Amino acid sequence: MKRLLLAVALILLLAAPWIVTAPFFVHLMIMVLLWTVLGASWNLLGGFAGQVSFGHATFLGAGAYTMMILYLKLGVAPWYGIILGGVVAALIAMPIGYMCFRLRGPYFALSTLAVAEIIRLIALNWESFTAGPVGLLITTLPKVTFWGKALNWESKTPFFYIAVVIVLSALFATAVIARSRLGAYLLAIREDIDSAEAIGINTVQVRVAALSLSAFFAGMAGGFYAMYLRYIDPDAVFSIALSVEMVFIAVVGGLTTVAGPLIGAVFLVTLGETFREHFLVGHLIFYGFFMMLAIRFMPEGIWGKVRLWTGAAPHRDKS
Amino acid sequence: METLIQSLVSGLLTGSLYAMIGVGLTVIFGVMRIINMAHGDMVMLGMYGAFWAFTLWKVDPFLSIVLWIPAAFLGGVLVYRFLLKKIVPAGELTTLLYTAGLSLFVANLALLVWTGDYRTIKLDYAVMPLRPLGIAVPIPLAIAFGMAILITIALYWFLVKTPTGRAIRATSQEPEAAALMGVDVDRMAVITFGLGTALACGAGVLLAPSLYLYPTVGEILVVKCFVIVVLGGLGSVPGAIAGGVLLGVVESLGAVYVSVPYKDAIGFVIFLLVLLFRPSGLFGVGKS
Amino acid sequence: MSLLKVTGLTKFFGGLQAISDLSFEVKAGEILGLIGPNGAGKTTAFNLIAGFIPPTSGHIVFNGESLIGLKSYAVTRKGVARTFQIVKPFRKLTVLENVTLAAFLRIPTRKEAESEAGRILEKVGLKLKRFTLATDLTLSEQKRLEIARALATQPKLLLLDEPMGGLNSTEIEQASKLVLDICRDGVTIIWVEHVLKAIMNASHRVIVINYGKKIAEGKPDEVVENPEVIAAYLGTKKQSHVTD
Repeated sequence: MKRLLLAVALILLLAAPWIVTAPFFVHLMIMVLLWTVLGASWNLLGGFAGQVSFGHATFLGAGAYTMMILYLKLGVAPWYGIILGGVVAALIAMPIGYMCFRLRGPYFALSTLAVAEIIRLIALNWESFTAGPVGLLITTLPKVTFWGKALNWESKTPFFYIAVVIVLSALFATAVIARSRLGAYLLAIREDIDSAEAIGINTVQVRVAALSLSAFFAGMAGGFYAMYLRYIDPDAVFSIALSVEMVFIAVVGGLTTVAGPLIGAVFLVTLGETFREHFLVGHLIFYGFFMMLAIRFMPEGIWGKVRLWTGAAPHRDKS
Repeated sequence: METLIQSLVSGLLTGSLYAMIGVGLTVIFGVMRIINMAHGDMVMLGMYGAFWAFTLWKVDPFLSIVLWIPAAFLGGVLVYRFLLKKIVPAGELTTLLYTAGLSLFVANLALLVWTGDYRTIKLDYAVMPLRPLGIAVPIPLAIAFGMAILITIALYWFLVKTPTGRAIRATSQEPEAAALMGVDVDRMAVITFGLGTALACGAGVLLAPSLYLYPTVGEILVVKCFVIVVLGGLGSVPGAIAGGVLLGVVESLGAVYVSVPYKDAIGFVIFLLVLLFRPSGLFGVGKS
Repeated sequence: MSLLKVTGLTKFFGGLQAISDLSFEVKAGEILGLIGPNGAGKTTAFNLIAGFIPPTSGHIVFNGESLIGLKSYAVTRKGVARTFQIVKPFRKLTVLENVTLAAFLRIPTRKEAESEAGRILEKVGLKLKRFTLATDLTLSEQKRLEIARALATQPKLLLLDEPMGGLNSTEIEQASKLVLDICRDGVTIIWVEHVLKAIMNASHRVIVINYGKKIAEGKPDEVVENPEVIAAYLGTKKQSHVTD
């Protein structure tokens, strides 16, 4: 039954741009997919392992700049750039992890914020490499033909499908990790680090691994973001606001669930982007509001709550 | 030489206001272990409070502090009582996330209601700076400094000489022992949060005539605040004061003398180093 | 051939000496009891051996290898597992998940780790409760979970820290039986306990610690008659039996 529903959902997803053609809606769907990846990547570390990072924009930005620089300076096609962006992000995650995981809880969170700001300032200043505040711009995307027909980069449809591929791989990876030994170890770390070490878990190594995996997907999302918007600058991709939004999407959607970030993105991004269309500013008000609401009344998030109601998950939080 | 003194004086004046904001944040952390991400937005509210008092009611912004500080205290009390109190038992991290949500909510609400246009307060008597000993001192900043000193003295008197103030300090050092000695820890928490909010708002009111106002100013301020408070030692009032003044002076000197790129990053690097290697702050008086 | 050899172990916490020149050996297959009055340093000794805190000086050699400088997870991997005096289960996870996590150390796949966990739960008598959340167990069950979790790491040496604290007499008997079962399976045990009757009846040898120093060592019935031991527990004014 569950598989049938998933199959139907998948078919609907793939057909979506043909069903709903208005550019705003396709843009909305792309944004939802993008934020799903970001939320899911953050969730790997924040939800499963309980390590709340306020600096995930670091990895988004690293991926974005990698893709941009590789394309603009070396002519590497954006799709490879996106994957390499993920790899670069995963690599820089390691020293960051080894450094920041010496701290716990809120201090870890603050340290990741500091790291993100430092990286943003480096990007802002290292003009020979990143063009600084001027930013990087893609004027033309490479010509690609599918069955004889050239892809129209002016339309949003090709971007939609690229986003779908990234989202599906991110969600699939999360699901695989959740069932694996690594996933179980992350839950243990979230519960009690000392106990986890007592049963032989090298918690620093495991957390760094989780951070790297998380960074990989955030980096890919960043590469995609750069390709879709065609323009990036340090304040756009390394901002605290982006880091914070990722956190909120995962929390409101449902920590420690695979589908939580998707639900969170659908809910918050739809609300936010629709609001932004009409009012232009202040759309993050929903993020703030629902974050407070979720923490107070629904700490397991929207999807977590649904799973409790349908009996799919045992009652873990007695508050 | 004159430039050096000028820049030191500037830094000291601004630093005193940073100190006031930092003290508010550190005192809230010290007593309740709350890391208040919305603290910067409280400053922003104070700024706008002064602005609207001036624009709508023609009240001098510095006089409006008489209204806004008690209002902010009350506001803080209500926020704690009805919003935060139930969240705090869930832990420091959850509370941090919650205040982050609050921050986003308040800042964006302000953005919607008051628009993102930059506002300024133009005071008739503030056009020309004072020039004691040839150093240019903008009048609003001088007044702000003076009032900040007065408020700090009042705060000192409160914390050291009054029973409630001493109870707050006791709770900050050892909440369990304080409770055993009959201190109403909950009441201390409420008062402290009101106090911290009042300090933040008050600093906002004092700063308003000297800055461009915009609703999301809280975001940058709160980050600077954390740097101050961590450097000075989490929970330490003298540490926050020292940290605030230090930051003001460093920023001022940096703006004049240092054209080295990445200079803004230095603050964060120091912040990280302190967090990692000397969590009790540069002076070793904070709690980790 | 000793499985664990501790020599000259010393630990200072600032100016306070918690352990002073402690030396002893444990032979494979033994149950060694570690007793002493409150605050004598028994848990500290465990924390030192298990790698939770570093010693100030001394040697700890397990199976021919030094444990000094190894962090707790590395010590567990070498084959030394421990339980905590105040139990630390993963509260929001089920009993089965708790033990599976520990089994993962030696068994990388989930299915097999789970079945090994099930086998161990059967042994400690928690199989029926395997889908219960750890936080919903009784104290006696949580203590057994603690032991099951340690066993799942396939230790050669098990450090039990007051596994009987807070249990009633029936539960104590069950726990004693379990300890003997574990030993029969080939696991060497060092256990700290205040319920003296239980530890005296089950241990091959006993060491007595007071103020961080070893004051007696030997078979249970010998140690019990030792006047220094009696003095340590009861003070020098009265003469009394230590048992019970």
